[in-house]
Amino acid sequence: MKNITLFILLGLMTAVSSCTIEDQVDPNGPSITSVTNDATTGELDLLVYGAESRLRNNRDSYITSTGTIARELYLFDADPRNTEDLLGKDGAQLDNNTFYLTASYGNAFIVVRNCELLLQGVANTTAVTTAQRNGYEGFAKTIKALMLMNELMRLNDNGIRVDVADPDNLGPFVSKEAAFDAIFGMLDEAYTQLQSAEFTFQLSSGFAGYDDPAGFARFNRAVAARAAIWSERYGQAQGYLDNSFYDLNGDLQEGPEMIFSTASGDILNPVFRPLNQSGDQIIVHNFIINNLKAGDTRISKFNERPNPTSQDGLNGTHESAVYPSATAPISIIRNEELILIAAEANMQTGKLDDAVTALNVIRNAYGLGDYTGAVTEEALTEELLYHRAYSLFAEGHRMFDLRRYGLLNADYLPIDRPGDQVFTQFPIPLNENQ
Amino acid sequence: MKYFTKSCLLLAMLFISAAAMAQYTVSGVVQNENGEPLIGVSIIVKGTTTGTVTDFNGNFNINVSSGPATLLFSYTGFKPEEAEVSSSKTDISVTLEEDIANLEEIVVTGLATGIKRSNLANAVATVSGKELTEVTTQQTVDGALYGKLPGVNIVQSNGAPGGGIAMRLRGVSSLNGNNQPLFIIDGVYITNAEIPSGQRFASGANSGTEEGASNRLADLNPEDIESIEVLKGASAAAIYGTRANAGVVIITTKQGSAGRTKVSFEQDLGLNTIQNYVGRRQYTAAEVEEAFGADERAKFEAAQAAGKIFNYEEEIYGNTGFISDSRLSISGGNDKTTFYFNTSYRDEEGIIENTGFDRFSIRLNVDHKVSDKIKVGVNTNYINSFAARSFTGNENEGGLSYGYTLAFTRDWVDLFPNEQGVYPFNPNYAGNPIFVRDQARNDERNNRLISGTNIEYNVFQSDNVVFKLVGNAGLDFLLNETSVYVPETHQSQVGTNNGFIGEGRNKLLNYNYQAFGILDYFSAGNLNLNTQVGVTYLNFDRNFILNRATQLVPGQINLSQGGAQNIDQAIETEEEFGMVVQEQANWDDKVIATVGVRFDKSSLNGDPNKFFAFPRASLALNVANFDFWNSTAVNQFKLRVAYGQTGSSATFGSLFSSLASTNINGQIGVSAGGNLGRTDLEPETSEEIEFGTDLGFLGNKLNLGLTYYIRNVQNLLFLFDIPSSTGFNNEIRNDFDLQNRGLEVSLNINPVSTQNFNWNSMVNFWFNRSEVTRLGVPPFVPSGVAFGLGLGTFYVEEGEPITQLKGSDDEGPETIGDVEPDFQLGWYNEIKIGKNIDFNFLAHWKQGGDVLNLSRLLTDIGGNTPREYENLEGFVEDASYFRLREVGLYYTLPKFSNTLQRLRLGVSGRNLLTLTDYSSYDPETSTKGGTGLSTGIEVTPFPSSRQVYFHIGMQF
Repeated sequence: MKNITLFILLGLMTAVSSCTIEDQVDPNGPSITSVTNDATTGELDLLVYGAESRLRNNRDSYITSTGTIARELYLFDADPRNTEDLLGKDGAQLDNNTFYLTASYGNAFIVVRNCELLLQGVANTTAVTTAQRNGYEGFAKTIKALMLMNELMRLNDNGIRVDVADPDNLGPFVSKEAAFDAIFGMLDEAYTQLQSAEFTFQLSSGFAGYDDPAGFARFNRAVAARAAIWSERYGQAQGYLDNSFYDLNGDLQEGPEMIFSTASGDILNPVFRPLNQSGDQIIVHNFIINNLKAGDTRISKFNERPNPTSQDGLNGTHESAVYPSATAPISIIRNEELILIAAEANMQTGKLDDAVTALNVIRNAYGLGDYTGAVTEEALTEELLYHRAYSLFAEGHRMFDLRRYGLLNADYLPIDRPGDQVFTQFPIPLNENQ
Repeated sequence: MKYFTKSCLLLAMLFISAAAMAQYTVSGVVQNENGEPLIGVSIIVKGTTTGTVTDFNGNFNINVSSGPATLLFSYTGFKPEEAEVSSSKTDISVTLEEDIANLEEIVVTGLATGIKRSNLANAVATVSGKELTEVTTQQTVDGALYGKLPGVNIVQSNGAPGGGIAMRLRGVSSLNGNNQPLFIIDGVYITNAEIPSGQRFASGANSGTEEGASNRLADLNPEDIESIEVLKGASAAAIYGTRANAGVVIITTKQGSAGRTKVSFEQDLGLNTIQNYVGRRQYTAAEVEEAFGADERAKFEAAQAAGKIFNYEEEIYGNTGFISDSRLSISGGNDKTTFYFNTSYRDEEGIIENTGFDRFSIRLNVDHKVSDKIKVGVNTNYINSFAARSFTGNENEGGLSYGYTLAFTRDWVDLFPNEQGVYPFNPNYAGNPIFVRDQARNDERNNRLISGTNIEYNVFQSDNVVFKLVGNAGLDFLLNETSVYVPETHQSQVGTNNGFIGEGRNKLLNYNYQAFGILDYFSAGNLNLNTQVGVTYLNFDRNFILNRATQLVPGQINLSQGGAQNIDQAIETEEEFGMVVQEQANWDDKVIATVGVRFDKSSLNGDPNKFFAFPRASLALNVANFDFWNSTAVNQFKLRVAYGQTGSSATFGSLFSSLASTNINGQIGVSAGGNLGRTDLEPETSEEIEFGTDLGFLGNKLNLGLTYYIRNVQNLLFLFDIPSSTGFNNEIRNDFDLQNRGLEVSLNINPVSTQNFNWNSMVNFWFNRSEVTRLGVPPFVPSGVAFGLGLGTFYVEEGEPITQLKGSDDEGPETIGDVEPDFQLGWYNEIKIGKNIDFNFLAHWKQGGDVLNLSRLLTDIGGNTPREYENLEGFVEDASYFRLREVGLYYTLPKFSNTLQRLRLGVSGRNLLTLTDYSSYDPETSTKGGTGLSTGIEVTPFPSSRQVYFHIGMQF
């Protein structure tokens, strides 16, 4: 009897030892290490395309969150927090763990991580030449700076992390000034590298004209010019503009864009809303509608709804019509903004006539004729902010423009409902453990 | 009718030892109290392994080696009997008494063995096929268990026909892993997946779990089930190792029995109606103006004048669905081969037009004795099921989910199509619910084959030793096809996606095998030692493919007629191997002790070839069986204690840190943004000790079972939010322990037992309490369980229950509720009046347990909350209820024909009465499906229904 048991046990042991489970590989996606160790240019290029693609995600959240706070627009949809939290209804505060903060913030750092992986991958491969390496790094640092800057502006005095190379050992939150120092550092390094670079990758048609190292360098300088304004380092702006695609006589719409398509896996323009719909609309704040000057052709950015709409005690007559279709591109930065940057930089550095020259380019483009008002800093500030409001409507600028000039408050902005508040910055997301 | 339960121990007795030195032969007959012969009764000569079974006429012959001996008679569902025989007393007649308390029932607790209920050291809950389906017709197997088992919490996440049910045994055992028990049918590890249809790409729901998918247990025909055993915790389920953290549900299907071929046909006809309406706010013109402005008042008054004030809630949910359920079964066989065949078709229409569920099922179970020593069985079930579930639950601007749309839709807008058949746009929200009901589709079809084979080989048998090998293999193949269609004319589609088609093709293949050697040794002094050693292997292979098309050619429903197409695929494979050793000692049914250990390895663990050990030990003391016990009032007194460990590996994909794919204008790219996996993962483990007592009074007229358990889940795997500035979402951690404690009481009473009136009553009472006992990170909101602190969410915090709900307050998170019920009580009654009338009912009382009612948040915003609920504070509501879950009344006609053996007519109902203060459709709800912590959050669910049936059953 014992023999039988022994025999069976031996049989089982044999079965056990012969059953080996193989090591597991993810069948659903490439591992991170495949791009950070001995990557080919093909693999590194995919990180570039990933970064360009992800730039576009959650753009709607960025624009509606900042735009609502700036009383530029409302997002009327089923989520009550768009009209409660962002407008500070009845003492409500901005939450540090809600989509209006975290969606865009999280996405920005995904793009930053792609850039970091690219930098890491380039450093750990022998497959690229020096020129190619400069190309990848120039791209990565420029895009990283752009994304950091976007979120820094929302968090403002809360600062931001700029050293995020090692996910296990993140750098600290640094002040706004220090963050801008780092951002300029990245942009300048990238600019230098782009001078002797080669692109192995082909950016999308949205970057047409900016898809080689020379063109991308002009884009880099345009971003630096925006950074100069946002950081209020006005004196630096003109120098950046000179090396960008800034052109006082050029097409205002010139500049790289985020493009959208119906290709498999691609996304549609997230800021686009079909006109005259109900349920999910970007409604223009009446303050914007009421202040538009007669004859300003930028009225085409607003569509008057057949029926005025209201939600949560808020109402509006017009909806955003900035984009004509779901595949319309979104500008990343364009000549129109560069001209406004030139105007602002000149005004801030005492060159008021140059500022007027730049503003007249914008005025004439939109049927307003030359500027006839007082040529004082105060008057020009008002004029500048007017044009920034309408030229860059629903593009994520208004909140920062008002803040820069001390106007992001209830004295300047209309309060729609008693008890509403005007916030000036977003809190640090909860998961940053600050 | 009593069923013959498959039992390895009993079957062992079927093999007659021919080697005995025949001294004399005893023959006789075995019958029940009514004098009807009992077929297949096991007879064994006490103290030996010599045995036989009765034949078709209840007759038997058995050889007794020498001298006077005692024969033991045992039969499932009857109390055992002993009879003295000797060479001078060789002709006997034995009457077996019915076993009301089911103490002799064999409970399948091991992988290959079972144990008599009276010897069990765990509180294993069992539901017989009779309790399952005899009161009323059941939609799904899991739904049929509601209130019938102590320690088992069942929540219907979705009221749509075809299921959507979450089962929790003794509380929550995992945060991100599986909280659904392991389901095993006749040895086959079946899938109970909830497969999302991809409607979120049209509705804007946050994740697949919000799509209200059904769980695939819905495919089983409840009528096929002989019994369901529920191993609730680690102490009972340890032998199932690394898959058993959430418990194990063992389902045994019916087998044929030797004898006359029985043919039965049953037909149910029923009606489905909504259980209750929440109601709509009734406006006056002045109130409309106050809420929505003067323009809206004009519209309201115009509608009022035209008599066009509608009630869209009744319009959408007011359908009376017709239900038909037909079942044909044939069973029978001879002494070598028995079979059970069943085919059924259920067709159920929902309370929303164009929703419904139908299921065709066919099953053949065959058992065959190849020889005296070898027995094989094959159980095969093919199912074809279809569900049209339409759109409910959470969404974002999709305009599809009815409840969501209704919350915003004002009753004075006219949404009905005009003469040209054109549906107007809904001025209040992103979709017209009448259009969605009539034109949009969310369907799924399942083709499924479940088949198990078992073989038993009686290798060796002597007077005191039986050695056998048992093996089984099984497969569960499921092809699930989902199909979502939203026309290009749907409001939220116009101008953006211009129509949506989602076609899912999901293949799930599970296969498993196990092989065991079982050695039984009977020594003098009535000591029985049972040793089992075995191996198990299982392999799950899943491939989910979703094809999506948008930008549709008008009116087209073909994927290729879309201008934009997308493909998503997820491949998942899991492989596990385990070894089991278990030793059980039974001293004369007085002391029963078991020790065992299982070693498991899994491809889901960091090291796929590292074994993890899951031990168990238990002890049952049948005090009343000792000689010193001479109380006649207390005829059963058992003390029991059991300990065990189980595990649960991380979900598939947790080992990997991978990149996602992106696309820009056709150019593919890769991006960060996923979860950071870990390559050193080990399973989370659950350790449980349970103790209790079983008492039987007055000849088991009254039985009381008390069980207390303490379950510690250690090193729970959980996804923890890491700083967004890493560019990743989550990492996996395991510094988290959780404790569940609870009490389970079951009481069986037979208060009246006369010839003309018999009443059996069963009361189950239970509660569970949980506490997070260790948390290595600050308190946090688990990802994907709710909608953030702003609206209220689960919140994991050391020292607090895992089921607590918190919401934002000025000072930070504040406790706003707890979804754990204070207690639950199920009350099941069988009443037999005369010989012909059966009246059965099941009532269920759940006390306490909160639900976060976010449906009301939406109707508040939309201005549609009925005024009576306007004064509720916050959105957390007490979800206590008392429900008459099942009630059935049947009349069996006196036998009037020899062909028609039995004719039975009846009426029954489900959910006929619910008493609750909860303000929405059903206090049982979950907007996040059946996984994780999900239950207790409501966002515009498919309302649950009430059903009434007429039954006719015939047996030939």
